[in-house]
Amino acid sequence: MLCPLCGCEFDETDHSCLSECPMAAIQGCNLICCPNCGYQMVDESKSGAAKLLRRLLHPPGDPGKKEPTP
Amino acid sequence: MTRFPIIPSLEGDVHVILVGNPNVGKSALFGALTGRYVEISNFPGTTVELSTGHTDGMPLVDTPGIQSLHARSDDERVTRDILLERGGSLVLQVADARNLRRSLLLTMQLAELDRPLLLDVNMVDEARERGIQVDVVHLEQLLGAQVVPTVAVTGEGIETLRSRFQTARPVRHRVRYDAAIEEAVARLAPLLEGRDGDERAIALMILAGDAELAARCGGAHRAEIEALVARTAERYPRPLHFVLTGQRLRAVDELVAAVVRHPETRQAHAGETLGRLALHPVWGVAVLIAVLALFYLFVGRLGAGVCVNWMEKVFFGRGVNPLATWLAGFIPVPLVRDLLVGEYGLITMALTYGIAIVLPIVLTFFIAFGLLEDSGYLPRLAVMMDRPFKALGLNGKAVLPMVLGLGCDTMATMTTRILETRKDRLMVTLLLALGVPCSAQLGVIMGMTAYLPPAAIVVWGAVVTGVMFAVGWAASRVIPGERSDFILELPPIRRPQLVNIVIKTVARLEWYLKEVLPLFALGTLLLFVLDRTGALHLLERWAAPLVEGGLGLPRATTASFIVGFLRRDYGAAGLFALARAGALSVPQVLVSLVVITLFVPCVANVLVIAREHGTKVAFWVVGFVFPFAFAVGVLLHFGLLVFGVHF
Ligand SMILES: Nc1nc2c(ncn2[C@@H]2O[C@H](COP(=O)(O)OP(=O)(O)OP(=O)(O)O)[C@@H](O)[C@H]2O)c(=O)[nH]1
Ligand SMILES: [Zn+2]
Ligand SMILES: [Zn+2]
Repeated sequence: MLCPLCGCEFDETDHSCLSECPMAAIQGCNLICCPNCGYQMVDESKSGAAKLLRRLLHPPGDPGKKEPTP
Repeated sequence: MTRFPIIPSLEGDVHVILVGNPNVGKSALFGALTGRYVEISNFPGTTVELSTGHTDGMPLVDTPGIQSLHARSDDERVTRDILLERGGSLVLQVADARNLRRSLLLTMQLAELDRPLLLDVNMVDEARERGIQVDVVHLEQLLGAQVVPTVAVTGEGIETLRSRFQTARPVRHRVRYDAAIEEAVARLAPLLEGRDGDERAIALMILAGDAELAARCGGAHRAEIEALVARTAERYPRPLHFVLTGQRLRAVDELVAAVVRHPETRQAHAGETLGRLALHPVWGVAVLIAVLALFYLFVGRLGAGVCVNWMEKVFFGRGVNPLATWLAGFIPVPLVRDLLVGEYGLITMALTYGIAIVLPIVLTFFIAFGLLEDSGYLPRLAVMMDRPFKALGLNGKAVLPMVLGLGCDTMATMTTRILETRKDRLMVTLLLALGVPCSAQLGVIMGMTAYLPPAAIVVWGAVVTGVMFAVGWAASRVIPGERSDFILELPPIRRPQLVNIVIKTVARLEWYLKEVLPLFALGTLLLFVLDRTGALHLLERWAAPLVEGGLGLPRATTASFIVGFLRRDYGAAGLFALARAGALSVPQVLVSLVVITLFVPCVANVLVIAREHGTKVAFWVVGFVFPFAFAVGVLLHFGLLVFGVHF
C-alpha cells in the first residue's frame, strides 16, 4: 500500500502487529505503521468500529463518487 | 535473450503495451484505440485477464494496473513479464492528470527499461474541474519523451496520441541514485544473462528484492548477485525498495513542482514555510515548545481536568459507583462483593481508573496526536532529534524506532531489527524501555502534569530528557558504534482531514478498550489478592524505606508502583487518583511522575524484548530499568530537599 503521508510504498502485511505483538494474540494492533515515516494507518480489517464508522460516513451507494459517463 | 511466457495472440514484432496505475483509464483508452475487436485471455499460469486488440494494425495489450514494477502481486508480475518479454515494443503509459506524482513514479521506473515511451496524461477533464493544470509542453521538455493530454471517455486527444506512435522515443530523464546504489547497479548489470538494453531496469528490480528475476536472469552468477544485493542492503536502515522509491520520489517531486499547478498552491506555500521552520535549529525548538504547550492545554487542562472531573464526579461518583454498590448489596458473599466494589474492586478501581481517568485523557490525547501525525510534523521531529542523538555518538538510524515508539513501543522494539550492530539494537531497546512512552501512556503521563505548576513541568521534562541523554551517552561510551547518516524522506506539511482523525481516534480507542482495560483488571485483581492475603501490607512495610524514606511519598503510592510494573500508565492513573484526592504535594507528584515515566512501558514490551534479544537481555533491561528509575527518583527527592525547592 501507499503511505498517505510520505507516499512511500510498502507491504502492509509486514507492518501490522498481528503476528508480532505478544499482546495482540487475540486480534492484534488495529494500526499499520509506515516503516518510512512512522505514520499510523487504521487497518480496517481489524477494527470493527472504524469499519462501521467509515460505512456510516461513506455509505456504499454514496453519490459523492461520480459514475463514469461513457 | 531470456524468454518469458508468451501470449499467443501477441505474436508479431512491434506491440503497444498499455501500462498504468490502477484506475487511470487504461481500459477506457484501450476501448478508444481498438474499437470493437477485443480478445480476452488469461496470462499463462495465472488468473490475470488480459485484453488484446489491434490499433492501426499494431497489436495492443492492456496490462493490469500496478503501483510499481516491484512485483509482489500476480498483477504486478504479469505486467513486469509482458514488459520484459516484448523487448522491441512501444510502452504507452496512461497517467492520471489528477495525481501525476503517483504516475510519474511509475514513469521513472519504466524509463529505466530504455524503450520508446509515450506518456498519455489522461483525465485532464477532471483535473481541469479541480483546478489542476499540467504543463504538458514543459513536461515533454523535461522528460525528453512525448506527452499527450487525453480524455479517454470522450475521445479527446486520441487522434494526436495515435499520430505519435511512430515517433515515440525512450525517456531521456533518468533517476540518478546515490553512489552505493549506482555502484551496485554497475556491478549487477554485467552479470545478467541474455538481456538487451534493459539491464539497468532489471538490476534495480533485483535490488528491490525481486528474487524471482534474480533466479531467472542470474544464471551462473546467481549466488554472486544475491551476495551483492545483501551487501548493498546492509548499508541502509530500511529495505532497499523503500530506498529506491524514496530516491525516485525526490526526482518525481522536482518534475511535479515544475509542471503541475494546484489551486491550493498558496496553502502549500504556507505549509512549506512551516515545515522549514520546524526544522530550523532555533525556530524548530520554538515550534516544538509551541506544539507541546498546545498539547498540554488540550490534554492536560481539557482532558485530564475538565473531562476527568465530570466523569469521576458525575458519571462514576453519582452514577456508576453508587449503583454498583447498591446492586452489590444483593450479593451475599462478601468476598465477591469486595472484588467488585471494594477498595481494590474491579468496578471501583479498574473500571473507574480505566474509564473515568484514563479514557478522557487518552481520548483527548489521541485526537491531538492524530492531528500532529496527519500534519506531517512527526518526521520533522525525528530529524530535529537526530542532531542531539548524533552528538551522543548514537547511530542516526536510532531516531526512527524512537519516533515509532511514540505510536507503539512494542512495534518500535521490533523495528530495532533495522539497526546493524547488536550493540546499537540493545542501546535503542534500552532507551525505548526507559523513556519513550507509547501514545496512550504519553497521554496519561501528560495528563498528570496538570497537577504541576509550569516550573515543575520543566523540571520533570529536564530530568527525563537529561536521564535519557546520560544513559545514551554512557551506553555509547561502552558501545562504540560508527556514525552513519540518517536521511528521512520528509512528507509535506498539510492540513489534517477531520474524517481521518475521527476514524483513527475511534480505532485507537477500540484498541485501548480491548487490550489495555483487561490488563488494568488484571492489575486490580493482583492488588486484591495481595490485599486479602496481607501481602500488600507486608510489601508496603518492606518498601517503606524506599517509598517513604527515599522518595518521600506516602505509603499508599506503593500499590500504584506495583501495578505500574504491568503497565506504567496504570501506575500513573493510580498516582493521578491520589493527586486528585489531595494526598500528594507538588514535589511528591513530581518525584512519583519521574519514577513512573522511567518505568518499563508494559509487560508486552518485556516479552518482545525477550523474543527479539533473548531472555537474558530482557532480564538485564528489567533489572536495570526499575532500580534505576527509583534511584533517579531518590536523587530528585533529595535534590529538591537540599535546594529547598517548593514551587
Ligand atoms: N472523466 C474522465 N473519466 C475517465 C477518463 N478515462 C477513464 N475514465 C473513467 O475512469 C474509470 C476508470 O477507468 P478504467 O479504464 O476502468 O481504468 P483502468 O486503468 O483500466 O483500471 P484498472 O484496469 O482497474 O486498473 C472509469 O469509470 C472510466 O470511465 C477520462 O479521461 N476522463
Ligand atoms: Zn510514510
Ligand atoms: Zn502493537
